[in-house]
Amino acid sequence: MSFAENIFTGRESSKKFFLTTSLTPMIIYLAIFSILPVMWAFLLAFFDYSAQRTGDGLLGLGGANPYIGLQNFQNMLAGESLEAQQFRLSLGNTIVFALLVLPINLLITIPLAVLIESIGTRWKPIFRLIFFLPVVTSSVGVAIMWGYLYHPQNGLFNGLIVMLSNLLTPLGISPPSRQIWLTNPRAEIAGIPLAMLSIIVAYLWQDFGYNTIIFIAALQGIPEHFREAANVDGANGWQIFRHITLPLLRPTILLTSVLTMLSAFQVFDLIQIMTPGGGAQGQTRVLTIDIYENAFRFQRMGWSASVSVALFLLVMLITLIQFRLLRTDWEY
Amino acid sequence: MYQIDQPQALAEITSANRVQRQSRRRLTPPMLLIYLILIVGAFLTVVPFLFTFLSSFKTLDEIRQVPPTFLPQNFTTENYETVLNDPDLPLLLFYRNSVIVAVSNVVLVLFTSALFGYIFAKFRFWGKRLLFGYILLQLMIPFQVTMIPAYLILARLNLLNNLLGLIVPSGINAFGIFLMRQYMSVIPDELLDSARVDGASEWRIFFQIAIPQLGPALATLGILIFMFSWNAYLWPLIVLTEQNIRTLPIILTWYTNQHANQLNLSMAASVLVVMPVLLVFLVMQRWIIQGITLTGIKG
Repeated sequence: MSFAENIFTGRESSKKFFLTTSLTPMIIYLAIFSILPVMWAFLLAFFDYSAQRTGDGLLGLGGANPYIGLQNFQNMLAGESLEAQQFRLSLGNTIVFALLVLPINLLITIPLAVLIESIGTRWKPIFRLIFFLPVVTSSVGVAIMWGYLYHPQNGLFNGLIVMLSNLLTPLGISPPSRQIWLTNPRAEIAGIPLAMLSIIVAYLWQDFGYNTIIFIAALQGIPEHFREAANVDGANGWQIFRHITLPLLRPTILLTSVLTMLSAFQVFDLIQIMTPGGGAQGQTRVLTIDIYENAFRFQRMGWSASVSVALFLLVMLITLIQFRLLRTDWEY
Repeated sequence: MYQIDQPQALAEITSANRVQRQSRRRLTPPMLLIYLILIVGAFLTVVPFLFTFLSSFKTLDEIRQVPPTFLPQNFTTENYETVLNDPDLPLLLFYRNSVIVAVSNVVLVLFTSALFGYIFAKFRFWGKRLLFGYILLQLMIPFQVTMIPAYLILARLNLLNNLLGLIVPSGINAFGIFLMRQYMSVIPDELLDSARVDGASEWRIFFQIAIPQLGPALATLGILIFMFSWNAYLWPLIVLTEQNIRTLPIILTWYTNQHANQLNLSMAASVLVVMPVLLVFLVMQRWIIQGITLTGIKG
């Protein structure tokens, strides 16, 4: 055996040692904290499980926590029980929330990114910084600040309405009335509860800076030649945006749509803090709230797990649909 | 990639055009309109912060005034004194809890991300594709799915109401591994091989050759992980039910619920909890923005 081969086999065993000592703990760790929870969640969905009852075996499934097959899922689709109705309400609210957040977010962030990109480099970082402030603020902070803005007596919004009516009433114009923004079960606009809309506004405020910086980065990646060529050809600003910038942004729009949709489906903090439990009438109850309340307040973990599986399937479905809709086959 | 061959003359035309456009940028009314829109947008973005901050210096009487004032009429720091001297709210303890959790998360995630990013970028082994595929699949699974079993696992490990319950389950981060793999794959193999010829052990090569190559990437990932850990709400809410072990976001919601009728106090507490870290994140925003645009990571 030559010297070189000797080194080589020595290296191979050293590599083997390195891979064994690093990957073994990793796989054990993943098995306990990732693979096991996922499988356990899918298993729980087929049981009537509560952590308060001791069932059989290590997982506590069976016995006092019986196997009930697809009953949870059947209930979710057509059950008459309170939790089934709350699930369907939460599902509807989640979809309304996500379907409102996504287009409004894109309608704000794409033009905003274009505007920021079009100004001189001196002011660009300052605007970017200001618009990014809410993104780095903790959602608890956001929820408390906006809860204060929406406060029925002392909030800024009702304060502005009072000031406005002081101005308008002498002129004979009937002013908008003060609102109970977060807790009025009857207030709604176009069939959507006012509380839901109020939270959507707060959520958009917290979140818009995120997509804005992604679009700014994408705009910087579009070669200047393209816009200049169009400019030479006599295209105006809108035409350049519509026929050059927007098509080239398509892959980024796909990415941000998927990410925005995914996080909108998983919204929890703002809703739980501003309207605990989704409000008395469940006007802002979304799936994550439904999962949390069932699992940790009412100890219906089996039911809650089946709701979380439904959320998982929904998220997968939406992601696939978006990839289909916005798929592009060409690069620039 | 984007270079398009163009004749010299065309290059001159476009560069002349660029100069012309840049000079136009400062003068035209559309440009003024753009600035106006951006300034209004910036103002609307800042108002909630400003209103909260200013209100924390108002007296209880003033904060209850209808319509509310914007600037404090009788400027007072009394709210802060009350909050800081509240025996039910030992803020330093909660800061300590949050720091312990966030720093541990950062150290652990940076280590595992660098290690497994390095392994996925530079080594071949049986099952590599499967393992990496599983890591990517993790990104698709909503936290709410694994939340309930993860809670049951912590209960069996006796880690509920323990800060370890926030640290141990988030030891491996799929985004981190993914990001580190990208950076590691750029490191030339020759660099690693020359260390191997010199007889360094593989672990030593990882620590002394691979990790130092990652400087800025580790900083970016570290800041992002710190931010997500510091701001986390749902998981700490579930795991920590005893008062003195809680982290800042949980204690802040508890405090504002306790003082729902004293908005001046809850606003002062919010400022004390939110603002210091907000300032740190602002200083770090270059790295945060870089990290987000590189990875598309989202909290």
